[in-house]
Amino acid sequence: MATISFDLVSPENLIFNDDVGTIIIPGKDGDLGVLPGHSQVMSSLRPGRVMVYREDKNLVKSFFVSGGFAEINPEKCIVLAESVVELNSLDKSSIEKEIEELGSKESKESEEQLSIAKAKLEAITVSFYDKI
Amino acid sequence: MPSLKDIKTQINSVGSTKKITSAMKMVAASKLRRSQEKAEAARPYSSRLEEMLSSLASSAASGEGIIKLLTGTGNDQNYIVVPVSADRGLCGGFNSSINRETFKLVKSLEGNGKKVQLMLVGKKSRDFFNRVMKDQIIESYVDLNVSSTGYESALNISNKLQELYFEGKFDKCILVFNKFKSAISQEVTQQQLIPLDVSNSEKEEEKENSSNAIYDYEPDEETILKDLLPKNVSIQIFKVLLESDAGEQGARMAAMDNATRNAGEMIDSLTLKYNRTRQAFITKELIEIISGAESI
Repeated sequence: MATISFDLVSPENLIFNDDVGTIIIPGKDGDLGVLPGHSQVMSSLRPGRVMVYREDKNLVKSFFVSGGFAEINPEKCIVLAESVVELNSLDKSSIEKEIEELGSKESKESEEQLSIAKAKLEAITVSFYDKI
Repeated sequence: MPSLKDIKTQINSVGSTKKITSAMKMVAASKLRRSQEKAEAARPYSSRLEEMLSSLASSAASGEGIIKLLTGTGNDQNYIVVPVSADRGLCGGFNSSINRETFKLVKSLEGNGKKVQLMLVGKKSRDFFNRVMKDQIIESYVDLNVSSTGYESALNISNKLQELYFEGKFDKCILVFNKFKSAISQEVTQQQLIPLDVSNSEKEEEKENSSNAIYDYEPDEETILKDLLPKNVSIQIFKVLLESDAGEQGARMAAMDNATRNAGEMIDSLTLKYNRTRQAFITKELIEIISGAESI
């Protein structure tokens, strides 16, 4: 089976770069499943999970991105994300605390952070896409 | 004539200066390596972003809202100049060339009847412009610590700039910074940040369009562009901060290398002087003894 090359890039460094089987990306209007030979798409992302699978559909890695952009063509998929964390390094209680703190503040900035934190919490609690 | 003891003290003090400068050189060299790695790591992101932007730029026809970052306000009366200097000195002409260039730019813009304001990055430009153009400074950012929290600082600066831009406080923003050419040479560069200058990337875009099929956009071009443009401003600033940081370390390394070499030369010539003086003393004493003996 064919593979597609996948780059996950944050402003500070290149986080992931390998040939993989499938990637699921949180597009702004809905999740995108990217397989080798995908048509050319440019999309902006919402905060959510980026899931990376091997050719045999086993999960390799999962990340949380706080938004960004994706560029997809038949051979390559590039995700530019502003902040990237590996999903299993996130801690539920600390995120809940963050949400509580941010909820008490009222500014445009904290609102944005709050929505990111909420998406983070959702990302570690849900389990769909764990197996495809 | 200085006594032997004076020269000895001088040799010692130059010697300890040499030790300090050579230590600083070592530190700068290792920091340079780290900054270079950082700059290298950031390159994929910024180059990708630029590519995406240049393929989208053509779709921005009308200049409303965020797209103004690309198309401009239609005026060019008010300028913001952002010189990026270092927080510390002892790095040769690094800071003074930034300050000189900025000063020249501001004067020439003002000569053309524009209004210029300053947003300063780094202690050295803050100190300089606090002396010469205090009333034009709107904000200064110091102690950025680029190597650890660079992106956050870049984000702060870019948010502030965009806030001012959309309030209509300025029409054009120009960055003045030291471009990192190699470990020993930096080049003072001016870059127009707002509105975005896509003229040099347009050629590449033509090439790409001819070879690549056209992309689908999700949600649509305009929405993506609206997300992309503010991010691009932060990324450009981040890139400049990293380059300037690497340049600073390079400049310091070169300056300290020079200083170490000069100190070495100075020690050599002082040692020569010391030996000559010592010889002169001995000769003088001998003459005194001999002439004393003759007179008896």
